Amino acid sequence: MSEAAFHALADPRRRAILRLVRDRPRSVNEIAEQFDITQQAISLHLKVLRDAGLVAVRPRGQRRLYEVRPEGLASLRDFLAEFWPDHLQRLKHAVESADQAAGPDDAS
Amino acid sequence: MPAEPVTACVHIDAPPERVYEYFTRPEAIVSWMGEYALLEPEPGGRFVLDIQGAPVRGRFLELDPPYRLLISWGYAGSDHLPPGASVVEIRLTADRGGTYVELHHRDLPAGERPGHATGWIHYLARLSFAGAGCDPGPDPGMPQASPAEDRLSSP
Repeated sequence: MSEAAFHALADPRRRAILRLVRDRPRSVNEIAEQFDITQQAISLHLKVLRDAGLVAVRPRGQRRLYEVRPEGLASLRDFLAEFWPDHLQRLKHAVESADQAAGPDDAS
Repeated sequence: MPAEPVTACVHIDAPPERVYEYFTRPEAIVSWMGEYALLEPEPGGRFVLDIQGAPVRGRFLELDPPYRLLISWGYAGSDHLPPGASVVEIRLTADRGGTYVELHHRDLPAGERPGHATGWIHYLARLSFAGAGCDPGPDPGMPQASPAEDRLSSP
């Protein structure tokens, strides 16, 4: 979840889309109107946001509306607080496994 | 009002000299964080790291090998946390035959004004201290207890 959200938010256009659907649920057409890229490109961005759990899609009549997932935002609140402990654990494993592989005499 | 800093720490069974390299050598840093790195470990040198496609950009601000690093941290193209906007401090302390690593990520942006359309960044910036194996203490802005003698001093 964290990595996906991180990746999703790395793109300024996706952040802009998130702001749009945060204001109110919108269809892909409504979102696409705000940008100078194709609707297909918007759909791909929406897929990334959905996969990251940041937006959800809800049928309303004939339309499919995209909206913010509050749960996704709640986990974003903790994103960096999760990121660093997680990555320091990776650092620990990287250093300690490299030490074992290299042996005490090989510092590189 | 800035957001509270993030704190994380870990004990590693290797001396500080070895751990330090994992913050300054590109091939070492990508073994635990990111896919691509361009590092210039000298004061003012570039800190370029792509993590899952997110372009982290900053600079090495202060280096005290092998005990302390101060690195600025932001994201290329970000309005809220642009390159160099926040600061990551890494402190390495010799501890029980290994290294106690303590990390503080500071100067993170606080939320936008209530009602602003970009208020979601508020959620990103309001950080908890649920870090594993690390007790941040009651005041995140103050030096924190660590198993070893703490080298923290205010500049």
